[in-house]
Amino acid sequence: MTSNIERLHLTHPLHFVIGLTLWCIWFVAVYGGHAVACAVAPPAPEQGVFTLVNAMLLMVSLAATVLLAVLTLGCCREAKRHEGRLRFNAAVSAGLYLFSTLGVVFTALPILGIPPCL
Amino acid sequence: MRERYKRHAAPLSIQRLTRQRVNQLAAPLMVIATLFLTGCAGDKSILDPAGQAARDVVLIWWIMLAFGTVVLVVVVALWLYAFKRKHVTRTAVEERRIARRWIVGGGIMLPVLSITALLAFGVPAGQRMLPLPLSEPPEVIEVIGHQWWWEVRYPGAEGGEVVTSNQLIMPAGEPVDFHVTGADVIHAFWVPRLGGKIDMIPGRVNRIRLEADEPGVFGAQCAEFCGVGHAHMHLYVEALERDEYDAWLAERQTDQLASLAVNDQQHEPAREAFMTHCASCHRVAGLSAGEVGPDLSDLGSRTSLGAGVMPMEEGAINDWLHNHQTLKPSNLMPVHDDIDSATLESLGAWLETLSP
Amino acid sequence: MTTINRQATPQEPQNPRDPQGLHEDLHEIWGNPRGLKALTIVNHTTLGLRFMVTGMVFFLIGGILAMLVRTQLAFPDQDFMSPDIYNQVTTMHGTVMMFLFAIPMLEGLAIYMIPKMIGARDLVCPRLTSLGYWCYLFGGIILMSSLVLEMAPNSGWFMYTPLSSSEYAPGLGSDFWLLGITFVEISALSAGVELVVSILRTRTQGMALHKMPLFAWYILAMALMIVVGFPPLILGSILLELERAVGMPFFEIAGGGDPILWQHLFWLFGHPEVYIIFLPAAGIVSTLIPVFAGRPIVGYGWVVFAIIVTGFISFGLWVHHMFTVGIPQLAQAFFSAASMLVAVPTAIQVFVWLATLWLGKPKMKLPMLWIMGFLIIFVCGGLTGVMLALVPFNWQVHDTHFVVAHMHYVLVGGMFFPLIAGLYYWLPLFSGRMPSETIGKWGFWLTFLGFNGTFLIMHWTGLLGMPRRIYTYDTGMGWDIFNLLSSVSGFIMSAGIAMVLLDIALHFRFGKPAKQNPWNADTLEWANFMPPSAYNFVSLPKIETRHPLWDDPDLPRTMAEGKHSLSVANHGRREMWGTDPITGKVREIIHLPGNSWLPLFAAMALAVVCISLLVRVYPLAGVFVIVAAVLLLRWSWENGAHPKAAPDAEVAPGDPPLHSRTMDGPGLWAMAIALLANGSFFLCYLFGWFYLWTVSPEWRMPETSPLSLIGLVLAGLLVTFGAGVLEKCVRGLRQKRDAGLAISMYSISALGFVQVAITLWVLLSANLEVTETAHDAIMMVGLVYALIHGGLGAILTLLQGLRVGYGYVGAHAPFEPAVVAQLWRYNVVTFWVLVGALAVLPRVIGS
Repeated sequence: MTSNIERLHLTHPLHFVIGLTLWCIWFVAVYGGHAVACAVAPPAPEQGVFTLVNAMLLMVSLAATVLLAVLTLGCCREAKRHEGRLRFNAAVSAGLYLFSTLGVVFTALPILGIPPCL
Repeated sequence: MRERYKRHAAPLSIQRLTRQRVNQLAAPLMVIATLFLTGCAGDKSILDPAGQAARDVVLIWWIMLAFGTVVLVVVVALWLYAFKRKHVTRTAVEERRIARRWIVGGGIMLPVLSITALLAFGVPAGQRMLPLPLSEPPEVIEVIGHQWWWEVRYPGAEGGEVVTSNQLIMPAGEPVDFHVTGADVIHAFWVPRLGGKIDMIPGRVNRIRLEADEPGVFGAQCAEFCGVGHAHMHLYVEALERDEYDAWLAERQTDQLASLAVNDQQHEPAREAFMTHCASCHRVAGLSAGEVGPDLSDLGSRTSLGAGVMPMEEGAINDWLHNHQTLKPSNLMPVHDDIDSATLESLGAWLETLSP
Repeated sequence: MTTINRQATPQEPQNPRDPQGLHEDLHEIWGNPRGLKALTIVNHTTLGLRFMVTGMVFFLIGGILAMLVRTQLAFPDQDFMSPDIYNQVTTMHGTVMMFLFAIPMLEGLAIYMIPKMIGARDLVCPRLTSLGYWCYLFGGIILMSSLVLEMAPNSGWFMYTPLSSSEYAPGLGSDFWLLGITFVEISALSAGVELVVSILRTRTQGMALHKMPLFAWYILAMALMIVVGFPPLILGSILLELERAVGMPFFEIAGGGDPILWQHLFWLFGHPEVYIIFLPAAGIVSTLIPVFAGRPIVGYGWVVFAIIVTGFISFGLWVHHMFTVGIPQLAQAFFSAASMLVAVPTAIQVFVWLATLWLGKPKMKLPMLWIMGFLIIFVCGGLTGVMLALVPFNWQVHDTHFVVAHMHYVLVGGMFFPLIAGLYYWLPLFSGRMPSETIGKWGFWLTFLGFNGTFLIMHWTGLLGMPRRIYTYDTGMGWDIFNLLSSVSGFIMSAGIAMVLLDIALHFRFGKPAKQNPWNADTLEWANFMPPSAYNFVSLPKIETRHPLWDDPDLPRTMAEGKHSLSVANHGRREMWGTDPITGKVREIIHLPGNSWLPLFAAMALAVVCISLLVRVYPLAGVFVIVAAVLLLRWSWENGAHPKAAPDAEVAPGDPPLHSRTMDGPGLWAMAIALLANGSFFLCYLFGWFYLWTVSPEWRMPETSPLSLIGLVLAGLLVTFGAGVLEKCVRGLRQKRDAGLAISMYSISALGFVQVAITLWVLLSANLEVTETAHDAIMMVGLVYALIHGGLGAILTLLQGLRVGYGYVGAHAPFEPAVVAQLWRYNVVTFWVLVGALAVLPRVIGS
């Protein structure tokens, strides 16, 4: 696990954009998946929030959260190990991964409370 | 010629009253204060709710306004104070600590807490407008937007569907589901005092649930830009007690209206002129089935003409038939220069009798 | 001297000539011609100014339109304008302000400022700057002519279908909008691409990514957002124009299309656009505040964080413009939450600025006054923005004057006020003179009070239920007095703006001469002469810190005396550094093309295309597409070892090689960024395809796919094989092998042409009924996309073959095939994705 994270070169500025790109991909997946699910197999309104659609969306969101959280921690650790430019890169990346993580959590909150296709 | 009709006596008299007081006091601040206070009322005012959905939103609005004002004032005051305060020389470590406090406190905590609170408020309010299944299925009214008038249908009326136009009569004190769509371009259905708006999109049916607390008259106007007539696309909305509503529907059954349209021999020439000139576009129950323009079966009983362009009074229809392109520029009814004035007058007189 | 020396350490000149001599040498090469030849100028300073002046002219036109609107709405039941004219005026006001003022103006500022701030001598694709300017100018003129002809677009600036379709908007209005805006868009995209590459690859020696001025970060984000955000609108415009001109029913329910697709495409562009406008303006704020606080900005990293977050999140908000179209609540909630998230980076910036002022010694100079105005208005607009993100509240105030007020708070507060602050701040650089504080203050207060009078009140008008875009209203709604107040204040605001413009105009003649670095700023643009020379800097310094002029106040002098690098100009090339995007280490010398007629002529040819499409003379359009293509190919011909570019690759001892003699020049990056834009276009196309497939109410899919799978797979194999061979050639060039290069290029090109022929056969044999169903129409668009790209790849490779013959390309100048290889790689990926989406998936899933 640790060596895998090292292979990601978390001090590279490319990580400035990876976290939020993942957020975007998650967002498109959830929005698009939800639209397709509602077009193909809308659950009965009586079911409320306890539907397969909500469950699936929640699973995807959880997976995204975990992935982003791991990357956040990785960047934090890298930031502590370096100075100067590399530290700057890792610290900003850590912030961006953290934001992406919380962004997924925050944006996914409505899945817990709103029936899917109304 | 284009004198506007006043639907509401009450707000006008209040306005008149306050104007007198203002004249006496003549203080500019008073003008502004009273303007805003009396200004809350109004036919189409969001701030004067007459249904639960609209009331929820107004409550949220006032809370958001208060909170937003505090945030704005505090932030601006801090900025201004930063210019005024005496500069203190600090070590780099102290500076970093102070900066982090500002950024974490103001830049992260403040917005995160605010938006979380906002969502917690907002989501339940939104759910109330969802057409969730009810134990007793609500009344369904279909509203169809046309360039530039409204078609209103009551599919659930006992004894067959009822159709009318440019007026929306609904039962008060119970939820009503509106199924809306557009016939040509996108319009939007919006009764501000009852709740949010929903787009009327050709090819789709959108649903929104609204409820009027009590009987009353509400203003409404197309809210999505729909072309040259957009400003002249008003809808008269009235909520009635359930029994009055049922009676209103009963009066508008096709057979009732049909007998109304043909019962009178005196208007026979007008009916003939109607069949020649108007019937291909307009429906009058029992006579014609045109669907291009508004249904006219109960025209005489409506409060206004031309989708809210002018009040319905004696002679108003005649006036409209002569001058409709001036009264409502670019509306889609052709100019009637080819029809002589007497015929138009007789048509107007007959249409006025179509009042159940 | 063709070895790639990544760790080059350029030597400082031993015996610098006297400063005047250096200046003359450089001026000889970089100087602007006068007279008619001024039209050939490609220099960023001149073109940046042209962009800004043109933008200001359009701003004045847009402002006059706004005043017409306010006059009409001042009283109820006015007959000042007919509804149709009113609709034209409001549509054009929005269009002009957004597309012809806000974006080009900020691009102009960036084009002017970026090279000076990062220590470069020009943008990396100077001819592209010029092409962009001419496209902007011609597109703007075409669009404005519609107003004069009284056939301006009248469907609102977001052109919702079906109101803008041929049935409900007959005449040429919508066509003017769609074609004119797409034409102007070329300029936005070209500026976007070259700004990205310039910022990443041409910063002066030592300016690592984390030492870059914040303004460059903001512009980098803006430029990338343009690159990704504009293609959806271009796609939408093309589809809608095809629907209007040919009858392909993309947005027509009856034909299986969906009007809501337009709204998605429009707002997919339209929301990022707001931040495209806001970010550079915030960049101005982040540049000015440290200068006037007399200390470095606190939390540089926080600001970078906020910029990146804003750039991304703004692409996840577009549906909040569509909360009333009847999208399921859960989907609305996603967008609602995402919209609120954007408050976080904005608040971070506001508090970073506050903390900087708090810890510094701020001075309330004229530019700071405008920054204060910005703060008040923008925070207010941001707060109403958060309110609007709340779905139930949005349902009430959407499409009312509340939204009109909010939008002006965000755009005027978030763009116009910082812009004026920036203009006042940089005026001494433009002209060498200082503006007048007195007239400036009058201008500010009139604008500020007028603005708030107009739009603060307008929130209330909206809450009283006044919908937007109505040309008149009844009395008795309680709207009268508020509209009158808004109108009066609007005129006060225009008086203020007139005063500001007067001040700026007068200062060029009457302003006091400014001293070097008059505000005691920290960034490199103040090391220019005032006004700047065409080549910016006599010598390019090595930068160690974020605040070069604070840490070495002597820098402007030593730079002007030629004490730093690249001050020699006897080789006759326009040179500057190509540096590593991350560390800022020097990698190569970039040599730039000189002045040229080609951009002007190409833009003129494109203008003829635009006009002939407008008046529907399609043969003429076809001819001029070819003319434009020939001109652009000629442009690409004069590169590398061509006699007009850099036939001689000699460089000073110790200096790195010329970029055209390496494998990693900026052109490679420009191609990559252009393909990013192209990829965004392609993804939007796929979105359109799948959207219509799943959502469109009357979508009709044929039982069997009309596309020949065998043909498509064959074509795909050809393009893949061609790309593989090309890769092999590029690998060879990397190792200095160019045996048989010309033959390889010709063969690859031939493969490309065969692929195009097969794709064309598939398209023709499918017998698509493009005017009958949206399915066939959108399939056609996808195949034409593949055809154009295949053809482009084949033509460019053919030219490479010719260039090998001329000796412009080979082991000595190996750069260009690597650029073309990128396009081939892109073509391979998109072609197979198209095959999968259009031909395989429908077979697998069925209708």
